[in-house]
Amino acid sequence: MRLGMVIDLDRCIGCRSCAVACKSHNAQPPGTWWNRVFTPGASFHQAAVGKDGDLQMEYLPVSCQMCDNPACQKVCPSGATYTDERGVVLIDYERCIGCRYCIAACPYGVRQYNWEDSKKAKERAGYEKGYEYGYPADCRDKDGRLVYTPNRPVGVVEKCTFCAQYTSSGEQPACVKGCPGKVRIFGDLDDPSSEVSKLVRKRQTVRLKEELGTSPKVFYLAATKPIR
Amino acid sequence: MKKSNILLGLAGSLILISLVAWGYQIYNGLIVTNMRNSFSWGLYIATFAFFVGVAAGGLIVSSTVYLFNIEKLKPFTRIASLSAFASILGAGAMILPDMGRVDRIWNIFVYPNFRSPLVWDVIVISAYLLITFLSVYVQLLPDRKKEGSRFLNGWTKAHSQEEVEAFSKKWSKRIALVGLPVAILIHTVTALIFATQASRGWWNTAVLPPDFVSVAVASGTALVLVIALLAVGKEQFDQHKGAFQIMALIVAGSLVVHFFFVSVDLIIHGWWGSTEAKEILSLIFGHYRYLYATELLFPAFTMVLFFTEKGKRSYRVLMIGSVLLFIGVFAHRLMLMFPAFNAIPLSLSIPGAGIESWAYPVALGQLQEGMPVFVSSWAYTPTLVEYGVTLLPFGLVLFVVTAALKMYNFLPQKRSM
Ligand code: SF4
Ligand code: SF4
Repeated sequence: MRLGMVIDLDRCIGCRSCAVACKSHNAQPPGTWWNRVFTPGASFHQAAVGKDGDLQMEYLPVSCQMCDNPACQKVCPSGATYTDERGVVLIDYERCIGCRYCIAACPYGVRQYNWEDSKKAKERAGYEKGYEYGYPADCRDKDGRLVYTPNRPVGVVEKCTFCAQYTSSGEQPACVKGCPGKVRIFGDLDDPSSEVSKLVRKRQTVRLKEELGTSPKVFYLAATKPIR
Repeated sequence: MKKSNILLGLAGSLILISLVAWGYQIYNGLIVTNMRNSFSWGLYIATFAFFVGVAAGGLIVSSTVYLFNIEKLKPFTRIASLSAFASILGAGAMILPDMGRVDRIWNIFVYPNFRSPLVWDVIVISAYLLITFLSVYVQLLPDRKKEGSRFLNGWTKAHSQEEVEAFSKKWSKRIALVGLPVAILIHTVTALIFATQASRGWWNTAVLPPDFVSVAVASGTALVLVIALLAVGKEQFDQHKGAFQIMALIVAGSLVVHFFFVSVDLIIHGWWGSTEAKEILSLIFGHYRYLYATELLFPAFTMVLFFTEKGKRSYRVLMIGSVLLFIGVFAHRLMLMFPAFNAIPLSLSIPGAGIESWAYPVALGQLQEGMPVFVSSWAYTPTLVEYGVTLLPFGLVLFVVTAALKMYNFLPQKRSM
């Protein structure tokens, strides 16, 4: 099994619902975003770019690209970052030593560090005391590694897990469910009859920074907007 | 020895301040540093790389003695080994506060990932620590036997002074020869931590490891030079002039090699003219030009000074040149971080809008009034806490060197050779 995702940029309306769903379902502390949506070229989101009055506005959601050749995993000295049997790159929050080598190694800027205790961070940001959001229980992989917990320990790295707490029992990731435009398609790239496999086969796909050889398992369908 | 007591006191207070700062950081998290997600390594790693660099000198000086039979340097092999041991100890100590979970550091040993250059570095640095310790130990054996010191020395009791001296000589040589490749390796591997990362164009070059070696030979030898100058003092300077000249020549020669690598590296970064490379060049010659100028001009000045006949012969020039070199090399280590982290790897071109490189913003990891959460560059400057913690290796090196000089005979003129 090789879980992957196809993101149809033709359908993305840049609403950032996926980022918000991701943030709240995964209990990300203030300032931490596993999933981002920006308007490439613009200095702020939802601003058109172009020249001589020819404007365009596309959106690009970016979270962990679930590389098949993950630099983050290769540099991790303690094996805290690993790829599970479903092809998902995960972090064991109980093993990470917080060296941040993986943050330097990842070309996509998706890795987030717990610079302070998440409860303290929430308090400092002015959240109501005791306000907790996100999936409330721990999630461990079959070897007992802690891959999701609502308040990550201070000093460890975190990132998108393809919603390990949901997808490990066959559900869809929060961003897929939360997207109003059905932009995101999630599935098994090893299964030729899955929708993701079909799309990757039949449509022209783009992967980010392909030239670096990271072999991401997140594929983008380019915004085509045919003009001829 | 009043002076050494003052120095020990100073070293002690540096260590104390750094431990307090480190404690504060452990209590609050690395939020008390100015590092953030987009700029995830800073002063600590730069200082670490600096101390790895100066740790080279010891074994390079002692190996030159044995490999090329340079007798003039022989009186300084002890000081050389000591400086190497102290520096690598400082480097190892500096790495610890950078770990967000230093309490779990054992995970590196229990579950090592042998594909990680960081694990390679742990191995070679531990090896170097052991080798330099043994080197100091073996060289001190005869003196300590004479004094009747028993700590770690008990086994020499059954042997005569001559036997111990022969043993010391033989093993000093062996250790120096085994140590030389390890000395080269600690720089190579430390450089590989950076050079392997294709995500960071500034690091991702095969010239980085050899360049680290050349800088290390220069700065490491300069450290031996400084300690040796301080130890013999101005009075006996003339007596050991030959040795100092050789060391100055080693420094200047390896700087030539360093500048050769730097130029090749700049040409390769610049010639093709890719947008990524242009961004890096505009960072080093633009925003960070003063730091980059320090990195280039200070050592260049030292190189020229150490090549001139007059310079090599003057206590003051050797001292000043070495200090300038240290500042330059420290700037060099800082410049590893700034351009690398402020050129965001995920940059995109939007041909329709005529944009060649647009950096995809990164979440900082902190939410604060009046500050954006998503950034495409981060004006990193270390916080007071970071400066405090960084005193740790400086304190340790000062402490180890002063204590050792005070307790044992490292000074050449007093030795029975
Ligand atoms: S996108 Fe980054 S964090 Fe995700 S697998 Fe690739 S290198 Fe690792
Ligand atoms: S910060 Fe954690 S996950 Fe990242 S490389 Fe270090 S130990 Fe591994």
